[in-house]
Amino acid sequence: MGGIITDRDNKWYQIFNIRKLTLIFIFLLLLSINNSIAAEQSGTGDISCYHCHSRLVSDFQKSVHFDKNTCADCHGGDLNISGSLVSINVMHANFTGKPTAVNIADFCAKCHPGSSGVYEESIHWQKLKEDRPAASCTDCHGIHNILSSKDPNSSTFPQNIAETCAKCHENQTRMQALYYGIKTDRFDTYKKSYHYKSYKSGGGVIATCSDCHENHDTRIASDPKSAINPANLITTCGKKGCHEGAGNVFLSGGKIHEEQSVYLLSFDAKRIVTIFYIIMILFELTFTFGLIFLGITSKFDIKRRH
Amino acid sequence: MVELIFKRFTLNQRIQHILFFTSFILLAYTGFPLKFPESWWSSWMIASVGGFDNRTLIHHLSGLVMIGVSVYHVVYHILEKPRYDVLFNLKDIDDFKQQMKYFLRYSDEHPKYGRYTFKQKVEYFGAGFGAVVMGFSGLLMWQPFEAMKYFPIGLIQIAGLFHTWEAVLASIAVFIGHFYDEHFDKFLNMSWWTGNIPEEEMKHEHPLEYEEAMKNRPTGNMEHLEHKENNILITGFGKIVFTLIFIAICSWLVWMSYTILYEAIVNYIL
Ligand code: HEC
Ligand code: HEC
Ligand code: HEC
Ligand code: HEC
Ligand code: HEC
Ligand code: HEC
Repeated sequence: MGGIITDRDNKWYQIFNIRKLTLIFIFLLLLSINNSIAAEQSGTGDISCYHCHSRLVSDFQKSVHFDKNTCADCHGGDLNISGSLVSINVMHANFTGKPTAVNIADFCAKCHPGSSGVYEESIHWQKLKEDRPAASCTDCHGIHNILSSKDPNSSTFPQNIAETCAKCHENQTRMQALYYGIKTDRFDTYKKSYHYKSYKSGGGVIATCSDCHENHDTRIASDPKSAINPANLITTCGKKGCHEGAGNVFLSGGKIHEEQSVYLLSFDAKRIVTIFYIIMILFELTFTFGLIFLGITSKFDIKRRH
Repeated sequence: MVELIFKRFTLNQRIQHILFFTSFILLAYTGFPLKFPESWWSSWMIASVGGFDNRTLIHHLSGLVMIGVSVYHVVYHILEKPRYDVLFNLKDIDDFKQQMKYFLRYSDEHPKYGRYTFKQKVEYFGAGFGAVVMGFSGLLMWQPFEAMKYFPIGLIQIAGLFHTWEAVLASIAVFIGHFYDEHFDKFLNMSWWTGNIPEEEMKHEHPLEYEEAMKNRPTGNMEHLEHKENNILITGFGKIVFTLIFIAICSWLVWMSYTILYEAIVNYIL
């Protein structure tokens, strides 16, 4: 099951990357021809980077930080060299290229000490420092298009979070590189839950990845401080507006993604139920359609009408 | 033409049947879209009942109605007025064999059914089993955190498993099997509304019961009533509409069973 979807995802991921690169290339080529026209039209000619990276700049213009950060804060470079064909120079004056994931977290920490303080306790941050491909601020919030999580276009809007996490957590190549085989069926299994189904159908009840795993304080289940540690599940499920007053419930084992197994005399009960119903339904389909078919055919036989 | 009319269902039974099938249809209509949230018809069906919260409300209320009717039925028919002719007996096996022989041209003699055919008995007990499974699993899923005070979460997940499978199983039985036999084959069968069946049908479908009733005449359960022939145009048109609806529902159910069977076989058998 997991395999089917993630394989496609993988391919899609790769295709998308190649596509994106080609597109950017063509884009840059086109823009280098009539960059001056584009700059005039958009009215953002004052941002020197716009001539060549217009899509990113316009994303950035729409983000919450358009008046707070500048390209140079993250990339270096000189914004004052105004756009012209020789503006390639802007990427030379102390230009630093792509910031690393670790640098980004430090950068955001300057203005969002609260969020990053919490984030820096998380497994994502700890593993990021060990050079693993874990999530930095911009992996979840977007790089140039950071929006408030109340904005439906935001990658952290409740209905989009699952896909944001799935980008990595359903990505087998990214996850398989890790030594202990972290599960890559998290989105698939989440899709089977009522939480997902209700929000997909427009229901008000939404518990998504970050509600159970905390958006910033994400921890491995074995960590006693983790929201998904079996000992803390009652508090996590009992959050305000969710299952308030979930008292001393029987969350034994606390499996949400992998379904909890129940054994009847060493047989997996789920397996028994499933196999029972597979047989029943196959039998029923044969029986029902068989009798209908025989009934209809015997009617064509006029002599035999009783 | 004056024809004998036989009473098949009492008013009490007809009301039970109407409540049962209304709640059944509403349950299926508001339940399956949740199981397949990504299908095109899902959002359409949910919108048609006025949104997700209405869907949930309708599902829960219909569930309660169904549980109520089922409990009432058990209390009334088992404790008050038990009937034994609905139980399985050896004749059903013979009937089945004879029916198959007839269908497969090994014999020209149609089996002689009593008040209930073997298929009707299977459907009746299937519905009973289904109501029990759906009722209990549905209640567990309605209030999972209440349920988890007494049962481990694994049991509630199993309830969910039962709920889906049994829903598909019951829908096939009702929307395909029962609907075809009782409402399509015997078009236009109004006995669910009037409680009566005409002599012709009685002779044809329940010959043994007919003989029995005629023997006990006039104390038998029959009335003399005017029987109107159905207008052939209306019947023809009705049949076409019924066929279209029937085919649509069949494909829907077959698609759903294919989807969940495929997934289950991949996960549990392969
Ligand atoms: C004259 C057009 C032009 C202008 C103006 C320009 N860039 Fe670029 N930039 C490019 C091209 C072409 C590439 C692709 C180079 C490559 O892939 O190696 C690029 C690549 C980049 C990269 C990715 C570098 C990497 O390591 O892959 C960053 C970051 C970047 N530009 C930032 C900026 C910033 C910030 C500005 C404004 C201060 C800016 N650019 C202005 C043409 C431009
Ligand atoms: C919050 C810090 C931040 C700011 C502000 C920022 N960028 Fe970036 N930018 C990044 C990061 C991080 C990457 C690396 C993305 C990656 O690794 O794929 C990046 C990548 C790029 C790239 C390479 C694109 C690619 O797809 O590989 C370009 C071009 C770029 N930025 C231009 C800009 C421009 C122009 C601005 C100003 C409008 C800007 N950036 C503002 C963080 C920032
Ligand atoms: C120069 C300071 C500064 C830096 C650096 C900065 N931000 Fe912000 N950020 C702000 C301010 C100010 C707001 C606006 C807060 C508001 O509107 O309530 C904001 C808003 C946001 C919001 C939306 C919050 C809301 O409630 O609407 C998010 C998400 C966010 N920032 C994430 C980031 C991330 C991720 C980074 C690192 C790439 C970052 N910020 C870097 C200053 C900064
Ligand atoms: C940039 C990719 C990326 C994104 C986006 C991402 N993660 Fe992760 N996450 C990882 C990686 C990689 C690890 C494994 C780190 C390690 O243990 O080496 C991880 C670890 C975890 C773990 C701990 C599991 C374990 O066994 O170590 C949890 C829980 C988790 N992520 C939840 C989330 C949630 C929830 C989201 C979305 C809100 C999310 N992640 C978004 C990459 C990502
Ligand atoms: C694993 C994904 C993930 C990572 C990594 C992450 N965030 Fe968030 N962040 C979220 C989600 C999801 C929310 C929205 C939570 C909610 O809806 O209440 C959020 C909310 C926020 C907010 C509150 C503003 C708002 O939109 O409601 C700020 C500010 C913020 N993050 C900053 C950061 C900073 C700074 C970092 C890096 C230090 C960071 N985040 C890393 C997922 C992440
Ligand atoms: C209803 C709460 C809930 C939601 C929603 C949820 N999870 Fe989980 N998640 C858990 C619990 C509880 C565990 C630990 C038990 C288990 O494996 O089932 C867990 C385990 C995990 C793990 C392995 C952690 C470890 O330490 O082994 C990852 C990774 C993960 N979830 C990612 C996700 C992603 C990605 C999403 C969204 C697509 C998501 N989760 C949605 C509750 C949730």
